[in-house]
Amino acid sequence: MNLIDDYVIETTGLSKSFGDVQALKDVNLKVPQHSIFGFLGPNGAGKTTLMKLLIGLARPTAGTGKIFGCDIVKDSIAIRERIGYLPQHPRFIEEMTARENLLFTAKFFFNGPAQKINERCDEMLDLVGLIDKADRSIKGFSGGEKQRLGIALAQVNYPDLLILDEPASALDPLGRQAVLDIMERLRKYTTIFYSTHILDDVQRVSDTVAILNNGRLITAGPIEQILNGRDGVVYSLAIRGKAEKLDERLSTLSWVTKTSSLQQKGTNIWQISVSDELEAEKNLLRFVLADPTLTVAEFKRKKFELEEVFMDIVKGDKNVN
Amino acid sequence: MSTNLELQRVNELERLRGFSNLFKKESRAWWRSRRWWINAILWTGFLGGFTAIMLFLSNSEVMEATGDEIAQAGGLLEYTLEVGQSVFFEFGIPMLAIGTIILTQDAILGENQNGVAEWLLSKPVNRQAYILAKTTANVFPILIFLVGLPSAAVYTMLSIRGAVLYPAGDYIAAVGIMTIHTLFYLSLTLMLGTFFNNRGPILGITLGSVLGGGIIGGFIKQLLYVTPWMLPKIGFMTSSGQPVPGAIGISPIISSAILSIGFIFVAIRKFEQKEF
Repeated sequence: MNLIDDYVIETTGLSKSFGDVQALKDVNLKVPQHSIFGFLGPNGAGKTTLMKLLIGLARPTAGTGKIFGCDIVKDSIAIRERIGYLPQHPRFIEEMTARENLLFTAKFFFNGPAQKINERCDEMLDLVGLIDKADRSIKGFSGGEKQRLGIALAQVNYPDLLILDEPASALDPLGRQAVLDIMERLRKYTTIFYSTHILDDVQRVSDTVAILNNGRLITAGPIEQILNGRDGVVYSLAIRGKAEKLDERLSTLSWVTKTSSLQQKGTNIWQISVSDELEAEKNLLRFVLADPTLTVAEFKRKKFELEEVFMDIVKGDKNVN
Repeated sequence: MSTNLELQRVNELERLRGFSNLFKKESRAWWRSRRWWINAILWTGFLGGFTAIMLFLSNSEVMEATGDEIAQAGGLLEYTLEVGQSVFFEFGIPMLAIGTIILTQDAILGENQNGVAEWLLSKPVNRQAYILAKTTANVFPILIFLVGLPSAAVYTMLSIRGAVLYPAGDYIAAVGIMTIHTLFYLSLTLMLGTFFNNRGPILGITLGSVLGGGIIGGFIKQLLYVTPWMLPKIGFMTSSGQPVPGAIGISPIISSAILSIGFIFVAIRKFEQKEF
């Protein structure tokens, strides 16, 4: 990869059709180096299809994609040399033990010395907490253990990029926790691009997020930016009193872009979107309290939960369609 | 790339990337399981046993032979040896094809169905190497345990029954024909594994060809020149030193060999286009 190139993955107009069904439409995506990039979308949004295109398991019908600056179609083997991939349902050679699976996988990348390869396999088993089960048959492994082994297999070649398809979705809370912990530990070694529909996980470990719906990339960016919502900075005020004219008064302020209110147990909860954060911090509360009939029980900058943003974006996208 | 500098990276031709590791994995399924000795005992016992019955025990085939048939063979011993070879080649060659089909029908299809192929191809593996590893890793044990051992056993029995070493040249040529027939069905089965997503069509086409090919050839004679359907008969005739009718000649042998190679090329091409 070019040293000045900050993006590990770059796609331009990437599209994929299966007959009449367009699974991906014109996806333009940039995944920065050393990020944990959460790729969000409801089931059937096209997340797995995009991942398969990136690693050469399927071919795009239009557009291009690059990983480490290499073309995903022409240079697929060179790309796969430097990535680790965990499919949605991890598969192994069932006749082999966990250690044998790791050795087998390692030998796609390294041919010696045997002692160093063994050490690397042990290191991976240790990382995912399976060292004590290394020589057991995989057939007896639980779902969580299989998922952790899958991550070890994906990481055995010191990949510059880990692509994980729904790494924690099928696991119980403890299993999910373990997988997220491993992802956190791997953060310093590699870029992680993973898909999920579990918003809590994304909010916990990701620094960058993209949302895909119906095969279209709706939004992408740093998680703080996404959490700000689509209406920019929003302040929330709990107001008591006669606030009928407040909407009209707020509309006179040039930096207020949108208002909404709802009644909750005798209190009006106002959501006020602003274009100038500094001006709002300085004057918004003063402006509201200028009306002596009003009292403000609460004033805070609204912090969106990812679920709220996600639902808002996905619903908004449906309305557009 | 962040890596341990003490580890040596694999250095393979791009077209064969992943071959050696996949070949070892496929071979392991033969050599580090019961499969090799079960097949060794099964086929040597099955084909050798049937041939031994014809060669060493009084049986209806020999008892019911007419004087003309015996005279044509050159005597009772020669006739007995002919019957033994007929069983081994005319009955054995199709049986080996069925065994080969059963052993290989799942090689590609099974990994496509259970997701292992998708996982393997997410590693630096060339798809050509994948098909070639499947082919070569199955060719050697099948030729050793299904063709080689039974052939050696039957040759020994023919020599014991005749009380002299049986003429090796004709016999080896016949075993060569048996090999081509076996390889034809091995490569056909592997190729069909790249076309279909369930066993029905794979088994239907391959077993249909083995069991029903002769009937089809009876209706469309030209097919006998380009298919392996006559190879069991040609194998027997070659082994027993009988001249192969000129009308048949060696064209089924050559076309079966060419088709076997062609099937592998088609399998590679088809697999390269496959999407997961």
